[in-house]
Amino acid sequence: MDFALTEEQVMFRDQVLKFAKKEIAPRCQEHDLKAEFDWEAWRKMGEFGLLGLHFPEELGGGGADVMTSVLAAEALGEAGVDGGLTLSLGAHTYLCADTIFRHGTEEQKKRYVPRLASGEWVGCMGLTEPGAGSDAASLKTRAIRQGDAWVLNGGKIFITNGSIAQVAVIYAKTNPDAGHAGISAFIVEKGTPGFSVSRNLHKMGCRTSPTSVLSFDDCVIPAENLLGVEGNGFFMSMQTVEWDRSTLLAPFIGAVAFCLERSARYAQERVQFGRPIASFQAIRRKLADMKIFMEAARSLVYRIAWCKDQGRPVNHLEAAVAKLFMGDWSLAPANDAVNLHGGYGYCHEYDMERVFRDSRLAPIGGGTSEVQRVLISRLM
Amino acid sequence: MNFDWTKDEAELIKRVAGLWDEAALADLAALETAALETGDGSDLAALTRKQIGRLAEAGAFAVAVGPSAKAETLRWMALMENVAQASGSLLLAAESSVRLFGGLLAGWGGGPLANLLGQVVSGEAIGALALSEPGGNQPQTGGRTQGRKEGDGYRVTGTKGFVANGPMADMIAVSGQVEGKTAFFLVQPGQEGVKIGPRMATLGYNGLAVSTLDLDHAFVPADRVIGPLADDEAVRFLHTVQDLILVAASLGVMIRTHNEANAYSRTYHRGAKPIYSHQEVRFKLADTFTLMQTSQLLAYRAAWFQATGEKEAPVLIHAAKVFTAEAAEKVSSLAMQILAGRGYVMGNPVERGYREAKFAALAGTTSEVARMSIAEDVLRRFPVA
Repeated sequence: MDFALTEEQVMFRDQVLKFAKKEIAPRCQEHDLKAEFDWEAWRKMGEFGLLGLHFPEELGGGGADVMTSVLAAEALGEAGVDGGLTLSLGAHTYLCADTIFRHGTEEQKKRYVPRLASGEWVGCMGLTEPGAGSDAASLKTRAIRQGDAWVLNGGKIFITNGSIAQVAVIYAKTNPDAGHAGISAFIVEKGTPGFSVSRNLHKMGCRTSPTSVLSFDDCVIPAENLLGVEGNGFFMSMQTVEWDRSTLLAPFIGAVAFCLERSARYAQERVQFGRPIASFQAIRRKLADMKIFMEAARSLVYRIAWCKDQGRPVNHLEAAVAKLFMGDWSLAPANDAVNLHGGYGYCHEYDMERVFRDSRLAPIGGGTSEVQRVLISRLM
Repeated sequence: MNFDWTKDEAELIKRVAGLWDEAALADLAALETAALETGDGSDLAALTRKQIGRLAEAGAFAVAVGPSAKAETLRWMALMENVAQASGSLLLAAESSVRLFGGLLAGWGGGPLANLLGQVVSGEAIGALALSEPGGNQPQTGGRTQGRKEGDGYRVTGTKGFVANGPMADMIAVSGQVEGKTAFFLVQPGQEGVKIGPRMATLGYNGLAVSTLDLDHAFVPADRVIGPLADDEAVRFLHTVQDLILVAASLGVMIRTHNEANAYSRTYHRGAKPIYSHQEVRFKLADTFTLMQTSQLLAYRAAWFQATGEKEAPVLIHAAKVFTAEAAEKVSSLAMQILAGRGYVMGNPVERGYREAKFAALAGTTSEVARMSIAEDVLRRFPVA
């Protein structure tokens, strides 16, 4: 066993941290208040190479390993980048582009991955439906083969990047009687007749990331837009949600590091009863608990990244454990950070309330904590 | 990064795990209720010596004894976890002897004490370390046990509390002060001026013999004295070792109680189906599993930090100690809830684990002191901008 990061990994993480602190984080509060996607930040992240880090260079990626990608995502959170932007990045890179990269034909990879990796296009993934979330087998969206085309009908909900995406990976039933084996994945481009975004949802946190409702009404796509093998969609979606439970968790760890740094500095500035509040043990305890949580969570997330770098395609138990721990235990550090800042913590100016709202997604998105408990108790 | 054990690590773990056959497990169970010394081979002292000897034969003490073997800390953690899973009492007895008492000798002993180190590492002799005092621990208080130079040795007076292995040790290293500097005095039971208190009754780890120790003008020859030392490095080393042992003890509690609760949930029926099939039960098991795995990874990472000399090692070790201790309390409590009435009955692994779990939070660096130390480091790292 060895927990060492390579020199390159450490160097790149530090570069991302520096870049994000200077170029991205100062923009986040304003966009969060407006609940508006930050295109300028997106462009800058694309230029820096953050939107396709782990793809091969010939497809426009950075050729990095998953661990490096995790470290970069953690650094974004640590810099104070809002959860909405990192959520959009995750959905774009891992849930959409990575699925095309892993399961697409050469033509599909060449058409989509470079555009997604550069940030020229935004990607999204559509699995969840009003009546089907973690229970993917109960999807209602249908795809029916008609000659050289597939015809999609149905609707998707809670789709990150839905309204800004040029390309979507959509899961639909191709054989309703076959359960999980009847699910297939398709690539649908923006502007395809019959494909529309009904509306965006107003959210408690991660507000800069649009969360959309998608509709498919006799949406006709070419037969070659089938992604991977017909009937293999459930397996692909499970691989996909594993990203939700690994790389996409990394910014939450970074956010705790951000809270810790901000809280420690604030506690030494803020004077009450004639001395900095950092001198009170009740405040120090909160700082200690943030640090303890952060270190405990790190190993869990790094382990999944390592598993993926070893070429282990499915790591459901490790992923569920990381997701459950991050989801259910990460609310306390954000809550402590708000409290430590007192009235300021409750106001926008001090960022903590944003982190608090953003972190509430951790036990929900990518499979609720309850679903993780079902998985863990089944697989352990 | 590599989350798999190396071949060497895996082999050592396997060798130690292979010790726990039916007879050994029966001995370990007997430890918990055994009288200290009956002389018939079934007493606590005899059973402990026997199992420590077996650990030595399996090579468990060939690694990580003393500060110069720090690089083997991760391997040691894996070993300890394995022993702790079999018996927390044995873990504490063996580690108190080998890596606390023996570690002190290995790092600062030298000379005529080298032979004694060999006896401890081979399991022939049992050592003990007396650090804490009724008024507080070193180095925070400086210690009240005092040694005064007299001829070719020191005359030592003081009182120590909570000496693990105290009632059955062949030799006890007692921390004290000589003209304001730390020293360790090696004393033997039966020696004039050395009074070992009666075995204490404790909430958990009932297979570990703990006592107080009083020194009343006990004479310790110079060749049985380590120090006076120029600094408190030895004390810091011993505190770190103690904390790592307690981290492993917490892992052991979690593994034992989680496994027991998981197995029980598959066999005990309620409403014509195993209680495992009820979410109220299986969700608790998911929580215990999650806390256990999180604790394991944090413990391994802290051990790796120590092994590689990472600057943040002391913080990681304190973080691991606080987290694993509190997780062990939570896991054992949930496990007992799953076992319900059966878990509340004395003598089963969950009830034992529930009692043992509390120890790690209050022994070594307490959770309160560890949190203060972590916060101090955080504040240093992030000064006012």
